[in-house]
Amino acid sequence: MSSVSLRSLEKLYPASGKNPPFHAVKGIDLEIHDGEFMVLVGPSGCGKSTTLRMIAGLEHISAGEIRIGDTVVNDLLPKDRGIAMVFQNYALYPHLTLFENMAFGLRLARTPKAEISRRVTEAARILGLEGILDRKPAALSGGQRQRVAVGRSIVRNPRVFLFDEPLSNLDAKMRVSMRSEISKLHARLKTTMIYVTHDQIEAMTMGDRICVMKDGRIMQVAAPLSLYHRPDNLYVAGFIGSPPMNLLRGRVERRDGTLLFIESAEADAVFIPLAGPLATLAASVEGRDVVFGIRPENISETPHPADSVRLTLPVELSEPMGSETNAYLKTGSGTLIARLHNEKRYAMGEPLAVHLNLGKAHLFDAATEQAIRP
Amino acid sequence: MKASTTRRLKLAAAHCFLIGFIALILFPFLMVVAISFRKGNFALGALIPTGDDFSLEHWKYVLGIPYEEIMGDGTVRTVQATTPVLVWFWNSLKVASTASALIILLSGTAAYAFARMQFFAKTTLLKSLLILQVFPMVLALVALYALLQLIGTYVPALGLNTHPGLMLTYLGGIAIYIWMIKGYFDTIPVSIEESAKIDGATHFQAFVRILLPMSAPIFAVVFILSFISLISEYPVASVVLQTEDRWTLAVGAQSFLYEQNFLWGKFAATAVLSGLPITAMFLFCQKFLISGLTSGGVKE
Repeated sequence: MSSVSLRSLEKLYPASGKNPPFHAVKGIDLEIHDGEFMVLVGPSGCGKSTTLRMIAGLEHISAGEIRIGDTVVNDLLPKDRGIAMVFQNYALYPHLTLFENMAFGLRLARTPKAEISRRVTEAARILGLEGILDRKPAALSGGQRQRVAVGRSIVRNPRVFLFDEPLSNLDAKMRVSMRSEISKLHARLKTTMIYVTHDQIEAMTMGDRICVMKDGRIMQVAAPLSLYHRPDNLYVAGFIGSPPMNLLRGRVERRDGTLLFIESAEADAVFIPLAGPLATLAASVEGRDVVFGIRPENISETPHPADSVRLTLPVELSEPMGSETNAYLKTGSGTLIARLHNEKRYAMGEPLAVHLNLGKAHLFDAATEQAIRP
Repeated sequence: MKASTTRRLKLAAAHCFLIGFIALILFPFLMVVAISFRKGNFALGALIPTGDDFSLEHWKYVLGIPYEEIMGDGTVRTVQATTPVLVWFWNSLKVASTASALIILLSGTAAYAFARMQFFAKTTLLKSLLILQVFPMVLALVALYALLQLIGTYVPALGLNTHPGLMLTYLGGIAIYIWMIKGYFDTIPVSIEESAKIDGATHFQAFVRILLPMSAPIFAVVFILSFISLISEYPVASVVLQTEDRWTLAVGAQSFLYEQNFLWGKFAATAVLSGLPITAMFLFCQKFLISGLTSGGVKE
């Protein structure tokens, strides 16, 4: 078990042939604690996989430093870093049986035969692979293959587990069950795990902490719920949550003594009178361009206990999901999605009165895209 | 006409075509076999030699077994080959199999570098290899001769009229094999070797223990192709190998065709003999030519 620390880590791919140079990772700092389950999440091309591959030693580090435990591992070979990695495409050895697949690393390390057999059998028991250890990977289902890949990691007793989108090749049902299996594995082994995914549900459900990345930079590192409730910037606010947070562009202005958020729109602009703590925040950015953010579940048909604002907007579309209905309400410049707890299907264009819970609303600076905090 | 009748007719037509096609390919081969079992040295005659026509003299000659021949004046003399055909056979086998093994070793490692490593002027090198290979090796015959002579003055074992020297020239013609093997390596996902490296393998171990076993089919193909081409290679061998006891089958067979007297019978027997190791090698390599060796390792 070990902590992992990334300091000013950079990855620059030089121009090759017709490809221009690509700055994949632009100086990131990240401290991953001993035993922590850290999820790196972001869209494709954000540098999350490159970062993981640098930790693994599969990519050269352009600048910066990676420490595993107390050791700087920049120049160590993958095998000397005390890591194990599970790949998106399983990367099993197709010509070897499951047993040999899992034993390969131990054999290279000249582990005694009895010890190899003990460890592989133990891993197979944990992962439910007993009885099929003499098969080859081609005879397995996708879920079983990924389990073998996990097993191959376990037997080596690594200090750090690395997962590179391990579930994205599985079907939806298998993905859910493997998700909980990996979480259980973490609870059992208590080893540091670094998990790369583009799936925010995986990130939210599995991670002790989540590191959201974009264009080679870290946007925010926080525990799942604090990421959800207190996003640092517009990007994180829009990335985490499904349906995503409603974001309206506009200005904070004072009219007749009341602080208002006024949507920027040609016509039918939404006016939101601000109250409570949000008004205090807004006072500091009076007259400036801001983005008003509110999650769909904080818009309801009934008033909220405190700092509630009533708006009447025409319905564009409604999606009854059974337990709730997503109503798309038309504003001057876009839509506001409300997650309503009913089973109604609203007619198109029907005016609907909703209440916004200002206590759960956010303000972002339109220019810097950072959250406005007291 | 009923549908089934049409179908049967089509099938019959297809079979006729295929049988005719196979006959076309087999006919020359059968002729050569027939000549090798026919008395005298005639290119033409019955396809199946019978009675007086049938004779094992060419085969006895080729295999070095003494036999009796009736001379023009009616006397009988015992003939035993002075030309050691079996020695040529052994030479051919030795040169072709050793050179093919070395070709696999060289082109396999070179292909690995081209497929997996990054180095200066990689694409340029790869392309120039292919362009150089466009010129047949025969065109460089003079150069090869001079080079071997030069090498021979320092290392006699690698000089002219030696088998290692001949193999050395053969090792110069492997660009096409490098391309073939590289093409195969390119289809194997890198993540499998990366995974081996994380498991503790060195570059070399990942190559030998993971990539090589998965690449058995392409190595079998390269081995067969190079073996066939080397067994039947004549121009270079005929220049490099100068004494009769060093000749390969291809060179030796050619020696039966004098300007005034074509010994077709002995030539044919030698030709059939040279086909035997190729057939044997094919049967041996066939078990490696299996598909699906790389399936199941990764999600496609």
